[in-house]
Amino acid sequence: MTGPAPRVLPALLAAEPGGGRRRVARRRLGLRSAGWLGVLAVAVAWQLAALALHRPTLPTFTTALAAVGQVVTGPALTADILPSLARTLIAFAIAGAAGVIVGLTLGYVRSLGDYAVAVIDFLRSVPAPLLIPLAIVLLGLGTPMVVAVVAAAAVWPVLINAFDAARRTEPLYLDTARSCGIRGVSLLRIVLLPAALPMVLAGLRIALSTCLAVLVVAEMLGASSGIGYFIQGAQQTFQIPQTYAGIIVLAGVGWLFDTIFLLAEHRLLRWEAAVARGRHA
Amino acid sequence: MPRRLLRRWARPAAGVALAIGLWVLLTQTGLLSSRDFPTVQAIAAALAAAAGPLAASLGATLESLLIGLAIASAAGVVLGLAVGSSVWADAATDGIVRMARPLPSLALIPIAILLAGLGTTMTAGLVAFAAFWPVFINTRYATRQVEPQLLDTGRALGFGRWGLVWRVVVPSVAPAAATGVRVAAGVATVVTISVELVAGTGGLGGYVMTAQQGGSTAAMYAGIVVGGFVGWLLSYGVGAVGRTTLRWDTAAGGRAVPP
Repeated sequence: MTGPAPRVLPALLAAEPGGGRRRVARRRLGLRSAGWLGVLAVAVAWQLAALALHRPTLPTFTTALAAVGQVVTGPALTADILPSLARTLIAFAIAGAAGVIVGLTLGYVRSLGDYAVAVIDFLRSVPAPLLIPLAIVLLGLGTPMVVAVVAAAAVWPVLINAFDAARRTEPLYLDTARSCGIRGVSLLRIVLLPAALPMVLAGLRIALSTCLAVLVVAEMLGASSGIGYFIQGAQQTFQIPQTYAGIIVLAGVGWLFDTIFLLAEHRLLRWEAAVARGRHA
Repeated sequence: MPRRLLRRWARPAAGVALAIGLWVLLTQTGLLSSRDFPTVQAIAAALAAAAGPLAASLGATLESLLIGLAIASAAGVVLGLAVGSSVWADAATDGIVRMARPLPSLALIPIAILLAGLGTTMTAGLVAFAAFWPVFINTRYATRQVEPQLLDTGRALGFGRWGLVWRVVVPSVAPAAATGVRVAAGVATVVTISVELVAGTGGLGGYVMTAQQGGSTAAMYAGIVVGGFVGWLLSYGVGAVGRTTLRWDTAAGGRAVPP
């Protein structure tokens, strides 16, 4: 989208003062292991609480982990986990595309944006789970209903961020592009989208976690497959370790998605970091 | 000034009128089937007819929501300040926060039912758990970022440990904490209504679900419209409280949709 911006003195800026480098490294190592110790402490606390309370509703951490192994290698993998992943990705793609296109357009055409502001504000205030009964009326039970609700919930962070970013686009970029004869869709693609990209990506990241959250509820209420359906079913049939395992699997999926997203974001925004460095130098 | 008036009020109001007009047009002409898309009059009539039950459901929803949000805000601010003041406590909780962040609280509904049964305690507890994280994360982060010069100035002026916390740290952290509470209010709304839908414990979610299952589509739409207003009021209410109490910070509360 843009040529490589001149990398001015990045090595110099990144370098730490020579003398304290080893001490800084040791401190950083210590702080990182403190992070792992915190997680370990939670796991140990769970284990001890479960052993002490000895209640059927609270299995030990190790039992739950063993159940995770069974779930991800059992029939639930193809019956529930993969359908959930597919629904999430489809809904995320729809929400992302719609949010970016509508948001950038409304942000760029100012008067149109003014008209839409209050309507958008109201629509996005509707708590997403309330749309599930509506979607069931319109689309019945099943995947289309789940995808529609998830997309309707996830579109807002993208749309709002794209809208905001388009309104704040550096006027100089727009003027330059116009004087070069760039108009319409190419203006959107060449100027608005790259300029808005950091905020759009921030919105997309929120949208991704929104997708998973709403997905679970939609699957609990109106689907006969998926991780949400699995968790709900396991609880209702008192397969307690499986209930916990389903939640851990879902958290793992959320973590995986977020990690992949951050890697992609880093790759997409390399040019932006370079521009920022150029500005500082 | 008139231009500002046009942009801030006249056009948004016209936009709302246009949206409602479009709905009227589509439903009256029969382009959208009246079975799935009731007319504006039908929705208004359903609102009026069910005003009592709707208000009762709304009250139940707000009760769990506000109790949970209050607990989450208090715990999030206090723990955020405590953890953010210490480099080591901050590092030790970092892993926990990273694990809790992707954990969708809504998936915990079945577990919450197992552990706490059905009722306000369960709903408020889950709301508190879910809404805690945005407040805690924002407060913790802002506490780490307090301007060292301000702390040094405070020390030079002879503030003790608590004086420093109360006069320097809290005012610097408050705007970020307020933003956290605003996000938490949205989370709390979604969690409360999800619990009502999944566990069937009444409230606004229960009302909409019952209307759908009973085939009274207009009543269902009425419930959704009420939900939209509640979400909107809550978000603006928290924002407005932030703006009036945190006057020293211009960004406090923030506006939902920027100009």
